[in-house]
Amino acid sequence: MSRKTKISLAEPDLIRAIRQKQRLGSEALYDMYSASLFGVISRVVPNQELAEDLLQETFIKIWNSFDSYDETKGRLFTWMVNLARNLSVDKLRSKDFRNNNKNQDIENSVITIDEQRSTTLNPEVLGVREMVDNLKPEAKAVLDLIYFKGYTHVEASEELGIPLGTVKTRVRLAIISLRKLFN
Amino acid sequence: MEDLKAYIESGVLELYVLGSLSESERREVELMLDKHPELRTELTEIENALESYADENAVNAPDTLRSATLGKLEITEEKKVQVIPIRGRNNQFYKYAFAASVALLLLSLVALTNLYSQLKDSHNEIVILQQSNQKYVAHTNFVEGQLRDAKQSLDVFHSPEQYKVVSLKGTPNAPTASMMVAFSSQKSEVMIDVASLKMPANDQEHQYQLWALVDGKPVDLGVFDAKADSAGMIKMKSLKNAQAFAVTLEPKGGSINPTMEQMMVMGTI
Repeated sequence: MSRKTKISLAEPDLIRAIRQKQRLGSEALYDMYSASLFGVISRVVPNQELAEDLLQETFIKIWNSFDSYDETKGRLFTWMVNLARNLSVDKLRSKDFRNNNKNQDIENSVITIDEQRSTTLNPEVLGVREMVDNLKPEAKAVLDLIYFKGYTHVEASEELGIPLGTVKTRVRLAIISLRKLFN
Repeated sequence: MEDLKAYIESGVLELYVLGSLSESERREVELMLDKHPELRTELTEIENALESYADENAVNAPDTLRSATLGKLEITEEKKVQVIPIRGRNNQFYKYAFAASVALLLLSLVALTNLYSQLKDSHNEIVILQQSNQKYVAHTNFVEGQLRDAKQSLDVFHSPEQYKVVSLKGTPNAPTASMMVAFSSQKSEVMIDVASLKMPANDQEHQYQLWALVDGKPVDLGVFDAKADSAGMIKMKSLKNAQAFAVTLEPKGGSINPTMEQMMVMGTI
């Protein structure tokens, strides 16, 4: 399934290679981040074909507007995943898309994606996944809505019918749990 | 510090990382991050946690999408752009330099061959000229020799007041032999006129010896050879006075006393 040799660079080297528009930079960028980004995109936009188009669009946008990335403001992946999510959400909310697709129930869709796709799991993090599932469900639900579905915290508070402050608190709680898991 | 703790606990950094803040809220957070390094540490930890979370929920895109996507990214291979023209120029230069060298080499070879054949011709001419020159020198030497001999003979024969020419006649040992001896008592000179020498040729072991008879005693005047093609005069030993000359055949180098039985010619003054 996966390519035999994936190119990987340290983050500063990768950033330099992308700035200089080197082929190595483009290949490393794709190999290092396409799966993570596709995970987010395909959760926002369940349609496989469209998700693939969006992944391509995402990389083109990352590549062409790389000047607007500022490494002093945050990590490369943070910038890229937000870019991917925004592109996907924009597509999802565009008139074209609404006309052609019925809106799926949001809460179900995350589960649907995970059932439809065999998410590739690193054996090393298999245990982690179970632990993530054991996060406080209400906290995880808010984080997933925002991280994987592209909701703003205002939208999430409306969707879940909870106060804005509670959204912030739950997101923080979920991320604290993740930090404990991964660090 | 209390303020910072409250700021962290508000969860705004998480929302900043998640990209769910408005533009103005983002700028506020960025201002805070610039002011407080400890906030940045917190931010990075949140980022790392979310990246790991995304990683853990990663979905592989189809393999075909990779080349399709990478094909749409514009590449500027700066290293090649920098290197190629320099190399190209160098290549061009070496190409021309090489061609010029080969042409020069061929030209040199042609010129060298040409020069070599010319040199050989000249050398042959020099050899021929040297040979003919030697011939002329030899000829000139020969002619000069003859002229000197003739002049000497003429000097002798044109000065009867100085030279007495004595004709020696053959003895019974050699009846046909004869020769001329020129004698000057003034100069104490005795010379044989080789041109007029008519003697049997002597062999390798023997030579003719000229004697003068002075007051009845034989005086040695030296040895000579009889050769067919000789000319000129041969100067013999000095002598003041003499009454007669004689020639005997003696062992090579001559004898102290003449061998009378081998007397070939004699003549009186």
